[in-house]
Amino acid sequence: MNVAGLDIGSLTTKVVVIEDDTIASSGVIPSGEEAESTAREALAQVSMRAHIDSNGDLYIVSTGIGGKSISFAQQQKSITTCLARGISRLFPTARLLIDMGAESITIVKLNERGRVSDWLGHDKCAAGTGIFLQQMAKLMQMPLEEMAKISLNAKSPAEISSTCAVFAESEVISHVHRDPPTPREDIVAGIYSSLVSRVMALAKRVGIEKDVAVSGGVALNIGLLTTLEKELGFKILVPEQPQLVAALGAAIIAGENIDR
Amino acid sequence: MKATGKNSIESILRACRLIMKMGQGTADMSPSRTMYYKMLIKYFSSLLQAKENGDFIAAHTVFFPAEVIYAMDLVPMHTETTTWMTALFTGECSDILAAGSSLGMASEICTPHRGLAGAFAIGALPRPDVMLWSNMVCDNTAKSGELVMELCDCPGFFIDRPFKDSQYEVNYLVGELQDLVKFLEDKSGRKMNWDKLSVIVARMDKQIELIRQINELRKSVPTPFRATGFLELLSVDYLFPGQPEAIEYLETLLAELSEMVKKGEGAVSRERFRVMSLFIPPMYLIAFLEKISQEYGAVSVIEPFFTFWGEGRLDPAHPLESVAKKSYMIPEMRMYRPMDDLALDAIVDCAQQYKVDGAIFYADVGCRHSCATIKLFKDSLNRIDIPMLTLDCDVVDPTITSEEEFREKLERFFELLEER
Repeated sequence: MNVAGLDIGSLTTKVVVIEDDTIASSGVIPSGEEAESTAREALAQVSMRAHIDSNGDLYIVSTGIGGKSISFAQQQKSITTCLARGISRLFPTARLLIDMGAESITIVKLNERGRVSDWLGHDKCAAGTGIFLQQMAKLMQMPLEEMAKISLNAKSPAEISSTCAVFAESEVISHVHRDPPTPREDIVAGIYSSLVSRVMALAKRVGIEKDVAVSGGVALNIGLLTTLEKELGFKILVPEQPQLVAALGAAIIAGENIDR
Repeated sequence: MKATGKNSIESILRACRLIMKMGQGTADMSPSRTMYYKMLIKYFSSLLQAKENGDFIAAHTVFFPAEVIYAMDLVPMHTETTTWMTALFTGECSDILAAGSSLGMASEICTPHRGLAGAFAIGALPRPDVMLWSNMVCDNTAKSGELVMELCDCPGFFIDRPFKDSQYEVNYLVGELQDLVKFLEDKSGRKMNWDKLSVIVARMDKQIELIRQINELRKSVPTPFRATGFLELLSVDYLFPGQPEAIEYLETLLAELSEMVKKGEGAVSRERFRVMSLFIPPMYLIAFLEKISQEYGAVSVIEPFFTFWGEGRLDPAHPLESVAKKSYMIPEMRMYRPMDDLALDAIVDCAQQYKVDGAIFYADVGCRHSCATIKLFKDSLNRIDIPMLTLDCDVVDPTITSEEEFREKLERFFELLEER
């Protein structure tokens, strides 16, 4: 039997289908208003690519913010468990995972078996999340990719508040309208520094231990990863498709369940 | 401020009567639980009728030695417990919290204290004849009394209880208690009944022994005591120190739990996770916590700050000294004493003795003192490979965290325990 993992996020829905212990297909589509129908659509698209019948014999584990609402999934698992499984498959030496999603940051500490030994989430404020970065990109009037690129040329990152998304927005506006205005690359680097300082505060509370890996859509941002590595003082492990880690973990758990 | 508040005492009484009525004849309403609610009804009825009966109300903060109040036949009013019971039984206390804010109390001040000040300000609690308070356990407690005195225009007495616990400090505290007796005699016109105090101390000693015996039974696998049952033990300690009904309740509970252990019965149908509970869960989520405990087979087996009494016995021949010594044996003092290796080792030892799988720290965001200890306890437990979940919450204010948020985090934690 083939297995699939579904990660229903607030912005995107991710699917990974595993066949014979290898990833047969995967995909990311924007989350719709109804988690169930988006999940069905995502699963159908991904299954078609892998030439698998999505209505057929498929064991599914769902996770993420909307994971519980997927009635056709055989099991629901928490995002922390799925992240741990997914990242351990990709990087067995990872002992700390920093997951940066659209609306939350989760730090997962892993034991030598790749299981969760502790975790800490930041879910009270949008500061430091993917949505925060999107807002900042809108404010800076440039796409996220360009932001990432120009941040690498920053000379003196601007000071941006890390405690509140709304305050951060006002600070960025004030930098833009300063006379002379703060260079754009310094503002962007400041935004990344503020996000990283939030991540670091959480990671320190759990305990930073090598190797450190990242996941989530925000981990696609090269500028941010460079700032994070500078702050950590060492290289971090970055999956090719960081946004798929939880869906991969869910699919792995699905596989374990049918093997039992 | 105008006296506009709903009467908190009446709300608590109504809720207790309703719970008893609804539980009548069900397995959930055991004889000990029935007794517990009858005790609450008695306590709060005396308070409600005190003025009518010409009784003298002595309001007091947490850990204030109520034995002295009982020995003088005064009517005690445990202020913080009354506030959190309002939240527990009525599901919300926005009116008294808002009234506390109107007095200028910041949202960072712990809600039982903000709430109690608000409750007095709007007349939701009866005006006490005296306000008694101490520096046990925190700066909020130490300051609360002065505010209540001002709001209720009543005299008050503050006990300065030393931080450390050598004989020198105990002697000092005995001196403070002697002054308290003089103060109460002067204000109430009643004399201290020293024989009665000795009897109360003897009963309090028995009460502590009974809780120790109950704890022994809770070590059994499966554990027989309900997940949130410890809140009943806590209320009995707070409201009925050395009272005959407390002994009767604890003896009945002990017999019930012994019977369950003999039969191999547990508090939950399938015990999967044995949990150590640290600090106070949100009162408005107690029913939910009981439900999720059954759902996941997760049950609190020990609460070092509530049910795990420090070593020592009380001596009725030296009642005031015993009352002073008791203040250092109170379970909560594990958190509010010098946080040395001894204190931390006791928690680790406790976790091992009770075969704990994981710990849950209910981090009351308004309690700076308890939140400052989170990392110390977490690190100590992690050293023996016991994970600890920290849940940000507020003991009475439902706007800080929701049931959904609690469920999500608890489910993740139970998954973590299962994976191990």
